[in-house]
Amino acid sequence: MVLEATMICIDNSEWMRNGDYGPSRFQAQADAVNLICGAKTQSNPENTVGVLTMAGKGVRVLVTPTSDLGKILACMHGLEIGGEMNLAAGIQVAQLALKHRQNKKQQQRIIVFAGSPVKHEKKTLEMIGKKLKKNSVTLDIVNFGEDDEGKTEKLEALLAAVNNNDTSHIVHIPAGPNALSDILLSTPIFTGDGEGGSGFAASAAAAAAGGISGFEFGVDPNLDPELALALRVSMEEERARQEAAAKKAAEESSKQEKGGEEQDATMTERASEGASEADNKKNEFLALAMSMDEPASSQDLQDTEMSDAAAEDPELALALQLSVQDSAKDSSSQADMSKLLADQSFVSSILASLPGVDPNDPSVKEVLASMQSQSEPQQKQDEDKAPKEEDKK
Amino acid sequence: MSAAESATAIHRNQVDLLDFIDWSGVECLNQSSSHPLPNALKQGYREDEGLNLESDADEQLLIYIPFTQVIKLHSIVVMGSEEDGPKTVKLFANREHMGFSNVSDFPPSDTAVLSQDNLKGKPVVVKYVKFQNVRSLTIFIEDNQSGSEITKVQKIALYGSTVETTDMKGLKKIEDH
Repeated sequence: MVLEATMICIDNSEWMRNGDYGPSRFQAQADAVNLICGAKTQSNPENTVGVLTMAGKGVRVLVTPTSDLGKILACMHGLEIGGEMNLAAGIQVAQLALKHRQNKKQQQRIIVFAGSPVKHEKKTLEMIGKKLKKNSVTLDIVNFGEDDEGKTEKLEALLAAVNNNDTSHIVHIPAGPNALSDILLSTPIFTGDGEGGSGFAASAAAAAAGGISGFEFGVDPNLDPELALALRVSMEEERARQEAAAKKAAEESSKQEKGGEEQDATMTERASEGASEADNKKNEFLALAMSMDEPASSQDLQDTEMSDAAAEDPELALALQLSVQDSAKDSSSQADMSKLLADQSFVSSILASLPGVDPNDPSVKEVLASMQSQSEPQQKQDEDKAPKEEDKK
Repeated sequence: MSAAESATAIHRNQVDLLDFIDWSGVECLNQSSSHPLPNALKQGYREDEGLNLESDADEQLLIYIPFTQVIKLHSIVVMGSEEDGPKTVKLFANREHMGFSNVSDFPPSDTAVLSQDNLKGKPVVVKYVKFQNVRSLTIFIEDNQSGSEITKVQKIALYGSTVETTDMKGLKKIEDH
């Protein structure tokens, strides 16, 4: 709840084209910026946030510190990638922008996204840091992207020069499967200076720590309802399409009736399995499920995880109901599909028809091989448990 | 002679302006967090020689003191140690929210170079005419006696008179008649 004016310095240099942070470094950065803006404006309505770009033709202030979130998000559109990042100039311009903030009672903070190599000397950065400290400006550094020698050292030196009582932070984010914004959620940049942070940051961090399991598509419906809705609609459309394709294929094969019985059994079996696992080792099992290339089980797990989360959030309960209905359909079709996918020829024909998927791609082949080996023991498991379930019924 | 007399006459009416400081708006740039401004300003803290206001990143300090009412500033006392005490002190009247970057943008209302006597407690008389209508005072400590990295200030005291209060007293006397 600290009253703050924040300037966010974005790196839009050529290095941001790289895709090691999906979908691209620049996009990951933009998502993180959106998240930060939302968090800041939510934690205190009088907070202001401004954005500037450090690369391109030169340092350019896109929006001066304002509390209007829409304006900030709008200015993030149509940004061009190019040039080299000028860290020193960026920070100095940010300091100037903060100096001219309208509400002088706000504390000054600069958040820098350093994705490309830092060409300045350590000395220069230290001097800048001292100047920031002298004017009581706090600095947060997000170190991601390129990691050439000396960059981390320089940024740490800059932080040491600025840091006054642990109010400034640096975060190093390596490339990986997790989104940049998700990792940021758990850092002190979001959680504030040990005050516990805003409710938004805490809940979002908890969700992210649970492995996106709290929310349906990794997007909080409260934060961004339009995006969540768009994702859900597109997911439903895709499921409907897959379901139609699966049904067509099922009619052609003779396994349809047998698959139908086993569907119910596998569904209930997986649901109960998922529930018990979720109660005991939520995160571990989800990680395991994620690594397994079995769409049906992970879907159910997500559903059961969601039911736990939904117990706490009535809004989520509604979303859960919708998704359970969909996934019920989906699981059946997917369980069906898993057996069909065991059939190599069928798989390759499907894959050839899907746009953008090359069946000769080695990664695709790997997935197929793993699915084949998995579907066989699972079928045996299903058949063992199916009679048990039917006895209970 | 008459100037000296009038100077002493003013001395008699001046009060310690500590009571008129608006503490919610007091700011100090470049202070060390373990040695903040109240160590030098607040009653009790400032008398303690062990408690100093110290600078952080370099030797300069920028202190902003708003007042609860309009005052006239007569003199200031800045006490510090022999080496680390402040040397050049610039005073700005009624300039809000200054930063280190704009201290040189406009001339100060008064400048004082502190001698060792001053550091021991001798008040520095300011240009009274420039401080007749002071809502806020900015004290810029530019350097210290020995040129070291850290400036240490033990006590800052402001002496002067308030504008309204003087009027009130005048009214009272008339009423007594």
